[in-house]
Amino acid sequence: MAKKQRGKASSSSKTADIEKPTKSFTLSLESSDDEAPEEVTFEDSKAEALRSMKQALDTARREKQLLKEKRRKRQELFQEQKVSVCHFKWFQMLSEAWSLTNPDLKGKYTVTTVKERTLASFQQQVAEEFIQSRLYGPGTCRTTSELVASPYFIFSSKEKAKAEKLKKRWLHKQQIPSS
Amino acid sequence: MGEFKVHRVRFFDYIPSAIRTMAFNSQTERLAVARADGAVEIFNFNDNFFQEKVIPGQDGRAIEALCWVGHRLFSAGLNGEITEYDLENLRPQYTVDAYGGPIWTISSNSQGTQLAVGCEDGTVKIFAILEERIQFQRNLNRHKGRIISLCWHPSSAQIAAGMTDMITIFDAETGHATRRLLVDRATGASKNKEVVVWSVGYLSDHTIISGDSAGKVQIWNGLTGTLVRTYLVTKWDVLVLSVSKDESSVIAGTSEGTVIQFQFISSTVDQHDKEWVRTRTFRNHSHDVSALAHTDTAVVSGGMDTQLVVRPLLDKVEKNTQESALRKIAFPHRSLVGCAKKAGLLLFQFPDRLELWKLGESEGHGKPGDRLPVKRKPEKLIELKRKGEDHICCSALSACGGWLAYSTVSNVRLYRIQYSNTISINKVSKLPKELRSVHQLCFSSDSSKLFASSCQSSVIVVAVSQQECRYLHTLKHKTGSRQPVHLLCASDDGKWLATANTDCEIHIYNLHKMKLHCMVPVYNSCPTTIAIHPVTNNLISVHADQQIFEFSLVQKEYTQWSRRLQTQGLLSLWLERDTPITHITFNPKNLDHIILHDTYMFCIIDQSLPFPELNAVLWNQMTLKSLPVSQRIGQSHAFKICKSFQHLMCVSLLEDLSLVVVERPLLDIMSQLPAPVRQKKFAT
Repeated sequence: MAKKQRGKASSSSKTADIEKPTKSFTLSLESSDDEAPEEVTFEDSKAEALRSMKQALDTARREKQLLKEKRRKRQELFQEQKVSVCHFKWFQMLSEAWSLTNPDLKGKYTVTTVKERTLASFQQQVAEEFIQSRLYGPGTCRTTSELVASPYFIFSSKEKAKAEKLKKRWLHKQQIPSS
Repeated sequence: MGEFKVHRVRFFDYIPSAIRTMAFNSQTERLAVARADGAVEIFNFNDNFFQEKVIPGQDGRAIEALCWVGHRLFSAGLNGEITEYDLENLRPQYTVDAYGGPIWTISSNSQGTQLAVGCEDGTVKIFAILEERIQFQRNLNRHKGRIISLCWHPSSAQIAAGMTDMITIFDAETGHATRRLLVDRATGASKNKEVVVWSVGYLSDHTIISGDSAGKVQIWNGLTGTLVRTYLVTKWDVLVLSVSKDESSVIAGTSEGTVIQFQFISSTVDQHDKEWVRTRTFRNHSHDVSALAHTDTAVVSGGMDTQLVVRPLLDKVEKNTQESALRKIAFPHRSLVGCAKKAGLLLFQFPDRLELWKLGESEGHGKPGDRLPVKRKPEKLIELKRKGEDHICCSALSACGGWLAYSTVSNVRLYRIQYSNTISINKVSKLPKELRSVHQLCFSSDSSKLFASSCQSSVIVVAVSQQECRYLHTLKHKTGSRQPVHLLCASDDGKWLATANTDCEIHIYNLHKMKLHCMVPVYNSCPTTIAIHPVTNNLISVHADQQIFEFSLVQKEYTQWSRRLQTQGLLSLWLERDTPITHITFNPKNLDHIILHDTYMFCIIDQSLPFPELNAVLWNQMTLKSLPVSQRIGQSHAFKICKSFQHLMCVSLLEDLSLVVVERPLLDIMSQLPAPVRQKKFAT
């Protein structure tokens, strides 16, 4: 159906000035509604739409992969840290046992817990990120606090009633003809 | 009456910390509130909800749960530690690492003998509560996935643990999991997202109530493991639940900022077929509600909007009385602003730093209401960041501006400030060892001494000079009270020092003799602020129930004015104010004036004028202004209230008789909070 129309249009437009191809395809009919949209325009926009859709899908796929990779790396690091804590605790036990067998060393050295501290703060970070992602991550539908603080964001029924009253008064004022 | 040039200060960027969790102690009627920065606040529900104690926070403390065991307070957090607090010295007493990774929840059994904590590594750990400490007993069987919430059965035989996608019921004795309740995920687009059971409640009849991230509140039969009823209450998360003591009511807090009540009621007259029914919805928050407490008469909620809301339940209190009024506590009940009256300086106290500002200067004169042109803008002179992990507990600035001090739970720091072409600040290095565990600081008016309140309401007196800081004396009282001092003030003539502690005791010390002078008769409401008049040396005290007293230090008795005020009685509008008076100051030009303020108004009490009659109008400033001057005296009364400035953090009078008003509008705080959920609202 469309093809037929297009064929007709091309023949009739031979005599008219060649217009620049429009970027968007509108459904509204103009005054010269006998002319069908140009063939070139439609193909172009179709191709454009397909291209952008493909791009969006690609981006989404890439993002998903990135997230997966991030999660995998974090899990690996976590495992690594776990192992290092085991090693560290083992080392602590060993050194305690060693101090028991060497009484003159007792109390003369200290074992610093540098690695354990890093693990605890890393675990804390992971836990905090969990809360952050559950409450503020993608899909959580949050707004901005600027909007909350705006004069239109009224969240108590008392304030709402007050605002309604003011609104009515203002509207009533507007209806009074200026003298 | 009086015309004042007002320094209207809005550059104190105070942002309160979000409320993470809370726990109510029904025995002592105290509410413990934990904030996101690790601070713990204690509110006295018996004394007009006064914030009587504040334990400062610590970097990394990240409290997730609080638990009262008798008079003892425990917290657990994402740093993996269980902390017990010393409420007499306002500091952690000790911490115990649970070795289970971050801790999400803590709960004690009904006998108060065991503590259960839910950990990141999937274990529920049981600790025995001993006299001065806790001791690890055992782990319950470990599960895959973090334990987010838990609740003991009142018999202490079972524990219900909320995890991801399920609730597990453990036998507390054997540690075995006896039942697993599978929680449905959200429908629709969020099907692939795991559902987190943020909160569980366990009732005596083995009913389990859960709130989860899919927005559901579910009622389960814990014996059969079956789901009884589901309520979808929100599109977002149900973050917290709280069960009333009589188990007839449950409240749920959501990310939308609503609190939903469920009650165990029957639809028929004979009360046989009781079931859990959704009853009320409270909308008192703009952001997520992450903390709840269900008292006998009220619903207490708090969350990301940093405000503590007490909503009395109208079926438990008398309607249309002060008891039934909604209370919102948005600002601290103590002053965070210090003012050097002689030097025109302001000190702002933040948890992590102090800011010293020089007030600006205006030129010219004007009529009341005019805004004067600013000749010199206010200037931030010093920003002093604290050292170490512990947050700042208290601070003080001397009247001349030359000395600055602050304390944390671990140490005290004193600085000398010099003003020449440039500002220089130098730390005084060797401080007396007696300066430890300091809760309040105050300089003498001549800047020669520093007073520091310490354990058991004692006060350490040190001399400060260019060369050194020297210990002078420790002032002690005789009542045996171990409660901390929360108010400290020195008289202008350097002879008197007054302290107030949370046992409602006010002690007066004679600084010339360095000994206790007397104790003001104990009034059963805690003082919220005290001050000594510069000339008469009368002590003015205002209390949490809004009563005002004037006590003569020389005569050791209440003054005539105070007795007349008590006889006359304060107007109900004054007594019903819901924010405490946090600062008193005096007018050197007019000795009859007492200037005091709460969050919403400042008031000049004129002691030469009569008290308002009981049927008089309290806020009569507008009326008086409209009358001709000759007629005003007939209508005047002692209370001159101004509500032009809000929300007030401090009102003070400088030596040049200009008024300093430090405002922190609530909207300025709100605009800097994290994002709330997107909802359709009026005109958005």
